[in-house]
Parts: sequence; C-alpha cells; structure tokens
Amino acid sequence: MISRRALQSFPGLRRVPAELKCRRTCLTYLGTRRPYSSAGGSGGYRDKNAVGVFTPKSAALFVVSGIGLLFYFRHAKAKVIEQQEKDRASKAYGRPSVGGPFSLSTHTGAPYTEQDLLGKWSLVYFGFTNCPDICPAELDKMGEALEAAEKEHGKIFNPVFVSVDPARDSPARIAVYLKDFHSAFTGLVGSFQAVKSMCKAYRVYFSTPPNAKPEDDYLVDHSIFVYFMDPEGKFVEAFGQTVTIEEMLQKVRDEIAAWKEETGKTV
Amino acid sequence: MGWWPFGSSSGTEDPTPPTRHERQKCWESRDAYFACLDGVGVIKAGTEGKACSTENSAYEKTCAQSWITYFNERRKLAFQQKDMLAQANAQNAQANAKR
Repeated sequence: MISRRALQSFPGLRRVPAELKCRRTCLTYLGTRRPYSSAGGSGGYRDKNAVGVFTPKSAALFVVSGIGLLFYFRHAKAKVIEQQEKDRASKAYGRPSVGGPFSLSTHTGAPYTEQDLLGKWSLVYFGFTNCPDICPAELDKMGEALEAAEKEHGKIFNPVFVSVDPARDSPARIAVYLKDFHSAFTGLVGSFQAVKSMCKAYRVYFSTPPNAKPEDDYLVDHSIFVYFMDPEGKFVEAFGQTVTIEEMLQKVRDEIAAWKEETGKTV
Repeated sequence: MGWWPFGSSSGTEDPTPPTRHERQKCWESRDAYFACLDGVGVIKAGTEGKACSTENSAYEKTCAQSWITYFNERRKLAFQQKDMLAQANAQNAQANAKR
C-alpha cells in the first residue's frame, strides 16, 4: 500500500489525490456549469444556450462535416479493399499444404530428404519404371521444360523422379531407367512405408500392393502431377497431364520473378 | 542376365526396366494390331478370331502382359466414350431440331 505522502513525493503523481477527490465531486461540479443541466440556471438561460448551439451555421457545419467524413471513410474503405485484392492476386493465400519431410535414397544410393530440395526450384514427379506410356511421356515433357527453363533462368532447377513401386524399382533399376531421360534427374525410392509417407505428404495416390514381388508383372495406378516447389521446398503448383510446356514455363517465369522481387535472388 | 547385380536368383525376372527403344517397339506393334482390329471392325481385343494373329503375336512378343491388358482395356473405354459422346450429340441434335 502506498501512503499519501509517498505519492506526493513524486511530482507526477501529486495530482492523483485531487483527481480522486474530483471523481467523487466533479459530476455535480460540472453539472452546475453545463448549459443543459437541469440542475443549473433558470429555464430562460437554458433555452438561450440551446439556441446558441443549434444555429443554422452549426447545423450546416455538422451536415457538411458528416458528409465529408462519410466520403472519407468510403474512400479509405475502397482503398483497403483494393489493396487486399492486390495482395490476394499476387500472393498465394491459403497455399495448399503439399510436401513435407521425407527420407528416401537416390538412384545412386545416397540418402535424400526434403533438405535436398532446398536452394533450387524442384520439379517432382511420381511414377514407376514399368509405366506403359504416361510416365515416359510426362518425364520427356519435364525434360523439355527443364531444358528451356535452364536456358532462360540458369541451372537453378532440380528434377526429381519418385518411384511409387518400391517392390520392383531398386535404385539400380531406376538408374538404368533414367538414362533415357534428362541427365539432371534424381531418382528416389525407399521402403514401402517411406514411399507411402512421402506420397501422403504430397497428396499422391498410388496403388502398388504392399506385398508385390519384384518378378510380378503389374501396373501401378497413381496420380499424375508434376509438382513445382520453390527454393524453400514449399509447394507452388501441380502441373497436370494436360498442362503444356509453354504453360509450365510461364508459371516458372512468374514465380521466379515474384521470388526475385521478394528476395532479390532467383533461388 | 540384366544390368542389375542384386536381382534374386530365380532367373525368371528381368530386372532391367523397359527402355525407350522397347517401349517404342511395343507401341508400334500395339498400333499395328489395333489398326488390324479396326479393319475387321472389332473393338474388344481377343474376340477377333484368327483375323489379326500375325499382329497379335508381335504385340504379345514386344509388350509385357500387364501393358497389353492396360492397352486393351483403354481401347475398349475409348470406344465406349466415343459411343457415349456420339449418343449425347445425337440427342442434342434431336432436341435442337424439335425446338
């Protein structure tokens, strides 16, 4: 508890007791001076003051300032909405949560995790080496897009092929398979569980039976998307089968330009 | 013996994945077989009798069984889709003519 003397020893607090006193008495004190207060003055005094406040001039001023404020707020609101629209158009609001940690090994046998996707723009495709026609076509398309993108932006891309057929696709088999495609490809595979958990993070559906044997002849049904990830390993876009190379390149161009504007770098 | 040294010793499996060349060969023989089926007016592969046996044996030799099943199924579906589209178009045309 602070004593009154202690309070008074602080110059800034010296007024506190007076105000405390005021809180109790000021209402009535002010009331006697307020023109509209029924407590103070005769009726004539009150009317005179009322007329004094509501002159045509003050009414006009009130209306004018009201209209002025209305327009000002409308203008300010429009500006805020416009800015929000701009932000929404340029920024990926509500970016889908695609991607995340994974741990697989490359076609040369080296470990590979989500950390290895950092520092480059990645193109990630999920497929399998025994794929009849769609995967090779998509991998060729990726290779062509990559070639063109590297010409335009430099070697800042990282093409990745993830096998959804771990029972048959050993690293060595993937290494042989990738010889037919762009030389920059990194092939990834792991245990069924490791592949499955990566597919889950990337929202990829696939249907390899978990107990498939290497000598079995089967196909794997899977989602067909080329995932475009930024240098922080965050999802940017999923290119479907019908997306053309030109459309891919345009998206890459836009994203790199936006990235450059934000960070001053291309990766 | 494949290029893959870690293969199981069963010897029946081929550990090398299909190469670009093998895929190309398979697609070519498939296209030839399907062209033959079109010629004799058969949609469902295997119901053509002996009409396309040369093409069929080439097809079976160059493509894996899983691929053949997949291509045949897709051919059937493609025709069904074409039928459905044609029907829908005919119905639309009829509806437009009535109007």
